[in-house]
Amino acid sequence: MAIVNLKNVTYKYPLTDTLVLDGINLQIEEGEFVAVVGPNGAGKSTLCYMLAGFVPHFYKGELTGTVEVAGVETQESSLNEWVMNVGLAFQNPFNQISGAKYTVFEEIAFGLENIGVPRKDMKERVERALEMTGILDLAERSPYSLSGGQQQRVALTSILVMEPKVLVLDEPTSQMDPIGTREVFGVIRTMAERGMTVVLAEHKMEWIAQFADRVIALHEGKILLDGKPGEVLTSELLDGKGFGISRYTSTAREAQEQSLWPNNKNLPVTLDEAVEGFTPNPSPSPLKGEGS
Amino acid sequence: MCRRRKYLLLHFSLQVRFTMNLDRSFYVPAKSILHSLNPLTKLTLVFALISFAFFSFPWMAPVLILPVFIMGFVGKVQKQYLNVFAKLILPAIGFMFIMQSLFLPGGETLVFKFSIFDIYTETIRTAFLTVSRIFVMISSFTLLLLTTHPSELMSDLTGRGLPGQFAYVIISTLQIIPQMQAKAQTIIAAQRSRGLDTQSTFRKRVGALVPLVGPLVFGSLVEVEERAIAIEARGFTSNRTKTSLYEIPDSSFDKALRWVLVLLVIISIVSRIWLS
Repeated sequence: MAIVNLKNVTYKYPLTDTLVLDGINLQIEEGEFVAVVGPNGAGKSTLCYMLAGFVPHFYKGELTGTVEVAGVETQESSLNEWVMNVGLAFQNPFNQISGAKYTVFEEIAFGLENIGVPRKDMKERVERALEMTGILDLAERSPYSLSGGQQQRVALTSILVMEPKVLVLDEPTSQMDPIGTREVFGVIRTMAERGMTVVLAEHKMEWIAQFADRVIALHEGKILLDGKPGEVLTSELLDGKGFGISRYTSTAREAQEQSLWPNNKNLPVTLDEAVEGFTPNPSPSPLKGEGS
Repeated sequence: MCRRRKYLLLHFSLQVRFTMNLDRSFYVPAKSILHSLNPLTKLTLVFALISFAFFSFPWMAPVLILPVFIMGFVGKVQKQYLNVFAKLILPAIGFMFIMQSLFLPGGETLVFKFSIFDIYTETIRTAFLTVSRIFVMISSFTLLLLTTHPSELMSDLTGRGLPGQFAYVIISTLQIIPQMQAKAQTIIAAQRSRGLDTQSTFRKRVGALVPLVGPLVFGSLVEVEERAIAIEARGFTSNRTKTSLYEIPDSSFDKALRWVLVLLVIISIVSRIWLS
């Protein structure tokens, strides 16, 4: 039984005529790490908001088809029940800080206070979450005194602490510098290793290829491709549609044309794969696990 | 520096710089009787003092001046309090005292003449009363803010049934105003670098407000939407009964003190009405 189940979903924002999502069918199994890629305006964010319940409960608009998460249908549920099952984090870390709390510890406890978790459990859960995302050292700092990457990790932690069944991340690193990106993906890696169900909309192909079990390519509100990262991210179907292609893929494609890339190998998305392909006698890569 | 000052004047920001610390509250951590009181007790004390000063006998307000001063020392926040007193309270009430003494009508006993002004004993007395009332009000609120952390105050009040939304608005405003100031600065710098004139004639300065206010206001509206989503995603409007991370002590001494204060307020008002 899939934990996320979308059947024939179409959606229009209020006062518009274009379908932002058009005939989406999508099943996500528990524990799966799904990445959503697509050019701007493809409907990635809308899909994220839909999974998180903000479409249609917050943005209204016209939704047809069925959206089901953890066996509950979105139209039959309310937003404040829905958020107990699905956690959402998005781009701007600054706007995700509640502004009602003075320390990171309090900030992370905010969600638990709202849903009435007893004080004793609250402290334990906050500490556990801080440890998991590696920001225990920031606990007593003001959330506003942190860097973008740190703030985004606080935002992720404050969602994780609520123990959602599905975690939706809408381009969590799009406003980060390389250091911030690495910090945030460090947290995402932990979640992937723990077998959480994650839906991640993201542009950075090299990172996606490292974590995702499955990649969905969205284009103009429709699912263009759905499959393994190695296949989807290197597919020629993505050409000329505004999908970002990893530099390793484009280099290898160029090499392939000049017969420098081995025929029996898929095109690479990450540095490791590229190194492996370009090395004449494959030996264990010394750069394994280095990230991008 | 001088130029910078000029355009600082342009956006009407409320620069509360003197005692604000990094976490954007006036709170000064210390161990004192005032700090250990329950926030509601302190709030009651503040309102009781204001009530004594304004609604009780006219001699009450001047009599309260010294005790309020001493409270600053009892609360071990005298340094910060005197700072606020010197920079904010004293100039405000000083100005008010002079204006009232000069312009309040209805004096009879002439004290002295000063160019075109006639100064009367009665007006000085009234001015002094007003000023001491204002002093008691501002000072007691300052002492409350100096000895109570805003989140402590708010979680105590929400625990007693104050709507969470109300507490949220108060605290987030305190935190977000400095952020908006910083953003306004960025926008001004950006527009100036593109040739916006913010320093010449008054007319041009007013005109310069438009390209500043636009991005600031519309940008903030987008932010509000995102922040609404962010706190909604954390169960802000959940129907469950909220809990609080901190337990805020409410001793029997606190409870007794609150009742005594309420009683005193009633007595002071009733006796005033009775005797006059």
